[in-house]
Amino acid sequence: MSVNDGPLIVQSDKTLLLEVDHEKADECRKAIAPFAELERAPEHVHTYRVTPLALWNARAAGHDAEQVVDALISHSRYPVPHALLVDVAETMARYGRLRLEKDPVHGLILTSSDRAVLEEVLRSKKIQPMLGERLGADSVVVHPSDRGNVKQALLKLGWPAEDLAGYVDGEHHPIDLAQDGWSLRPYQQEAADAFWHGGSGVVVLPCGAGKTIVGAAAMAHARATTLILVTNTVSAHQWKQELIKRTSLTEDEIGEYSGSKKEIRPVTIATYQVMTTRRKGVYSHLELFDARDWGLIVYDEVHLLPAPIFRMTADLQARRRIGLTATLVREDGREGDVFSLIGPKRYDAPWKEMENQGWIAPADCVEVRVTLTDEERLAYAMAESEERYRFCATTPSKTRVTEALVRRHLGEQVLVIGQYIDQLDELGEHLNAPVIKGETRVKERERLYQAFRDKEIQVLVVSKVANFSIDLPEAAVAIQVSGTFGSRQEEAQRLGRVLRPKADGGGARFYTVVSRDTVDQEFAAHRQRFLAEQGYAYQIIDADDVLGGV
Amino acid sequence: MASMEFTEWIRARSDEQLRELVSARPELITPVPAHLEGLAARAGSPSAIGRALDRLDRFTLAVVETLAVQDGPSPRETLADLVGRALAAGEPEPALGAALDRLRDLALVYGPDDALDLAPGVRKALDDPAGLGPPVADVFRHHPPEQLDEMADDIAPGTTGTGKERLAAALAEPAKLLEEVSGEARAALDQLAWGPATGRVPNARREVRVGSARSPIEQLLARGLLAATGEESVTLPREVGLHLRGGRVHRDLPAAPPALEGTARDQELADRTAAGQAFAFVRVVEELCERWSFEPPGVLRTGGLGVRDMKRLTTELDVPEWVAALAVEVAHAAGLVAQGGGVDGEWLPTTGYDLWRVRSTADRWVTLALTWLHMDRVPGLVGERDERDRPLNALHPDLRRTAAPVVRAAALGVLASAPGLAPSRASVLDRMAWQQPRRRGPLREQLVEFALREAEQVGVTGLGVLSGHGRALMASAGIGPGAEESTRTRAGKAAGSKGTKGAAAKAAVAVDPAAVLAPLLPEPVDHVLLQADLTAVAPGPLTSELNRWMTLAADVESKGGATVYRFSDASVRRALDAGQGADELLAALERHSATPVPQALSYLVADVARRHGRIRVGTAGAYIRCDDPALLDQITADRRSASLRLRRLAPTVIASRTSRAALVDSLRAMGYAPVAESLDGDVIVSRLDGRRSEGPAQTRSVPASNGLDPEVAAAAVRALRAGDAAHLARREPVAAPDGAIPRGPATSTITALQDAIKQGVRVWIGYLDSQGNATSRILEPARMEGGYLTAYDETRAAVHRFALHRITGVAGLS
Repeated sequence: MSVNDGPLIVQSDKTLLLEVDHEKADECRKAIAPFAELERAPEHVHTYRVTPLALWNARAAGHDAEQVVDALISHSRYPVPHALLVDVAETMARYGRLRLEKDPVHGLILTSSDRAVLEEVLRSKKIQPMLGERLGADSVVVHPSDRGNVKQALLKLGWPAEDLAGYVDGEHHPIDLAQDGWSLRPYQQEAADAFWHGGSGVVVLPCGAGKTIVGAAAMAHARATTLILVTNTVSAHQWKQELIKRTSLTEDEIGEYSGSKKEIRPVTIATYQVMTTRRKGVYSHLELFDARDWGLIVYDEVHLLPAPIFRMTADLQARRRIGLTATLVREDGREGDVFSLIGPKRYDAPWKEMENQGWIAPADCVEVRVTLTDEERLAYAMAESEERYRFCATTPSKTRVTEALVRRHLGEQVLVIGQYIDQLDELGEHLNAPVIKGETRVKERERLYQAFRDKEIQVLVVSKVANFSIDLPEAAVAIQVSGTFGSRQEEAQRLGRVLRPKADGGGARFYTVVSRDTVDQEFAAHRQRFLAEQGYAYQIIDADDVLGGV
Repeated sequence: MASMEFTEWIRARSDEQLRELVSARPELITPVPAHLEGLAARAGSPSAIGRALDRLDRFTLAVVETLAVQDGPSPRETLADLVGRALAAGEPEPALGAALDRLRDLALVYGPDDALDLAPGVRKALDDPAGLGPPVADVFRHHPPEQLDEMADDIAPGTTGTGKERLAAALAEPAKLLEEVSGEARAALDQLAWGPATGRVPNARREVRVGSARSPIEQLLARGLLAATGEESVTLPREVGLHLRGGRVHRDLPAAPPALEGTARDQELADRTAAGQAFAFVRVVEELCERWSFEPPGVLRTGGLGVRDMKRLTTELDVPEWVAALAVEVAHAAGLVAQGGGVDGEWLPTTGYDLWRVRSTADRWVTLALTWLHMDRVPGLVGERDERDRPLNALHPDLRRTAAPVVRAAALGVLASAPGLAPSRASVLDRMAWQQPRRRGPLREQLVEFALREAEQVGVTGLGVLSGHGRALMASAGIGPGAEESTRTRAGKAAGSKGTKGAAAKAAVAVDPAAVLAPLLPEPVDHVLLQADLTAVAPGPLTSELNRWMTLAADVESKGGATVYRFSDASVRRALDAGQGADELLAALERHSATPVPQALSYLVADVARRHGRIRVGTAGAYIRCDDPALLDQITADRRSASLRLRRLAPTVIASRTSRAALVDSLRAMGYAPVAESLDGDVIVSRLDGRRSEGPAQTRSVPASNGLDPEVAAAAVRALRAGDAAHLARREPVAAPDGAIPRGPATSTITALQDAIKQGVRVWIGYLDSQGNATSRILEPARMEGGYLTAYDETRAAVHRFALHRITGVAGLS
């Protein structure tokens, strides 16, 4: 009797290590994916983490503790500590002890299969005000307006409620997918179906995997008026174009609700910014949520959902909600709110697998280390600490290297991405390329993007306004010269720019130009870690190799 | 005399039987009595009998109780008959035979089969055998003789003897009396029949006669069927009780222990789970000790671990609080942590921990598990409150419970008797209640509960089933599965067993628990998997050499079956600091990695190595600098300089290990003319007169010059005066000079004071005191820092601190 030969190693901190080259790795991955979040996916050993949220996601998807324990035991190479199994079972048992249900007489009620839990919850000062009359020993009336708040509060107490109260159908509106010359990819279909069966929830797909189409498919399921919330105006335009192209919707049926236009139509696309605009301390556009009897609300880029939208969403619990995102990781740690207010994760596919299936372009990440000149080093040492990053991120040495890189990729579509406008302007000048920044008008931006897509322009210099939701499928090379202090989320977005499948099926290149021995390098280390964890090949080269060895 | 017969019986036992006796009742030979009479006497002492009875199972105890209700020696047949009647199912034999053997072994029963009797003292030790009340002779002990006479007259008219004797005779056959009483009275008796034999009634001592008895209780009291034993309590006499029981002493007596109920589990799965837990537990203890190596918690005054420290540990180890408490207690009991450190005391790992740490996981587990098995401390009580409502802390002296190891062994014994079964808690408690009916109570139930959950946590059991290594552990600890279970396993004992039973059990299962556990634990691996995100995964415990190397060159990020390491600037630098070269490091990575070394990692190593050691820092006592490298060449070449241990740092700088003064002197002796330099690079001149203590900042310098010029002379005199004044034992206040208080702009004040400090001269200052009064002082300034001047105030004859902003002006004293 010896130890198993499984591909999985269960760590005591509840991470799971999966050896990818193992023959049973795929089978194991399928078994653990429902209840463990993929945290890191470098080349040999992938790390999954079993969190309470992940376990509850699994419960919501219909898995029980027995399955989870079985998956762990049968794939684990070493004996699984009993305490961990007990913990898994106990955590999972917490979900669904409390249920939100619809009662013909009392409206919304909270019922419990475990009286002690209900009693514990009722004693919580946070929850008391949201509840009404006690109905017998096992249920209590919930004020319908507090449906979302109750769910949030219960999650914080560790007793996430299962929301079985159902949804309003909303105003009917015919929407069909127009699959002429294209069709839903299998995973898009699966994602939309999984969402529809779950009621509400989040679909996690990598950038470039066609989240918009999943949204459209969800709308075709709902066949009802839809409110779409997106990050910015450009992205709103793209949604509109995509919907016209992919569905039976016509231009007249789709409204844009943004800073400049205030159209309310059967399908309305609004930006987060306009929804969170306050006038005299009051959100002035809240009425949009009640403007129509929406049957579906689509949240694009859920991981960026601003806090006020969460609060508004708490009041919209009777409507179906679909969240679309590339990552559940939120830099503000509000994953729990996404779980309780938008819904559990309904679909997830790791980037690398999508890439292997050819849906997104493979990417090659290269970090170019620039050595500062002696004068630059001296100036850097003397710079004020708050100015240091800016200084090392925008050194002239970087400009020279960027130019060399652009030369190296002559003939390819190149995006240069940066944080600081001065630097971008200078680069634009040196490279003789147009610059898109915050002050660039929307029309001009779209013209430039279109020109880039049409290959009329080969090099485009963009600021962080381009981080989100701009579809530039032909960008084969991205050069990052400065960023927001090593934000992982920004990195995911920027990489997403070049991950769209190319017409020629070629790979993408993602350069990061970094000043050696400065804080820039420290931030780059974060980025490097993130990208390597996502499974991308990561290489570090010296600027001299670029400058000299073309 | 019974005791003499008993002594003789003891004397007649064979040596082997006596060995059996003393090994089963070790308290009889601590200390060893002088002779067998002493042994017999001790065997009859109440405490010794109590202990012996505590060890009996339910059936054997019932045999003792049955004998106890007999007046004297009984033949075996009578006993078999009584026991047989009490049995719920089955025949009295062979259980009775085994029970009698055991009772004789324990010297609780003696005599031949036709006259079995209890050892002296046993009857007395059993207060209410089988829930029966005391016999008539005892129960009416406190009644006045006249009352007994009256009662005897009523129920047994025409008999002779004392009241008590007549009563006893009448109650020995109470059938007739029982017929006389009403149905309600009979029902009241039935309630007491199977024990407890005592009931409560108001005014129990009322005087009643058969004729005047009204209520059912009065009918019973008048006939002696109940005896008043207190103001409000009545007791059923034993004879009446036995009659009511229809000649049986016990009701539904089980001859065999109750069957265990629970879930059947796959033994292999249970073993694996237990092994996983064993591994985890060892790791928790190790992590605990590692944490305490660097951040030891303080020892409470009462001798425990603070609640807050406990909470923190719980969070850090990421385990429930009771598990943390268990780990702490076991680590302490195993001698891995102990009180140490400063005055207040801290909980620190011991050197024993260092020895423990280097052993194999299986060995380490055996140490911990054995400690747990034997320790008399109850970690489960941590967090509860004592009788004075104070919280019980981990490592607190009050956590000791002598019963704990016994209960643990007994509970595991129960598990051992059912391989592949995870018995329910209730079922384990039932079984233990059968095995040791006299040891029951809330504490015991709690201890059993603790024992079961701790066994699971330590990894002795898995999924509620005793694991293979757990079984081996028990065997090595001398706890055989049958040690607590008496009757069943002893059937074949007579057939040629030698030595004590414990030794036999040991010999039978002498398997090293570590050897059983080891194959279930992850095998040590000699490679890691290097990844581009700068992590290395060791897919199992590393061989010790590689482990040391990895811990040096990378930081541990996650532990468990595997270990995840992360390389960072700092960790690579640490390896370089430890003397590894960059090439060596990369070579080692390549050697130990099962996968190619990622480019990012080799770049990291090269990058850190590039910067490593570019700046060098060392210690020097003093230095020599000179603009003329040739002169320095000359000094280093000079043989006499060898003792100065000079080292050329740069063409114009030499460092020396000696002090500045020694260096200056030596160089002078060598014929050079060096000048001393202050920290700021100023030239300082050594004092002309007697030596002074070498204060670091108080170097007093005057411009260098040749010969004795008047200024220097004046300075010398002033210094002499100051020194003289300082040496006076008594210091007289000096009158402030007359005249205006000196005033000057702030910068000039500071400059003047600095000069005064450097030159060691006295000054006259104007000073605003804390009340705002303008005063003037004569000072000998010592140092100036943080806006204050520290100086010897000659006006006040004391050292004072003066706020610089209150000094209105400075003037030299000439």
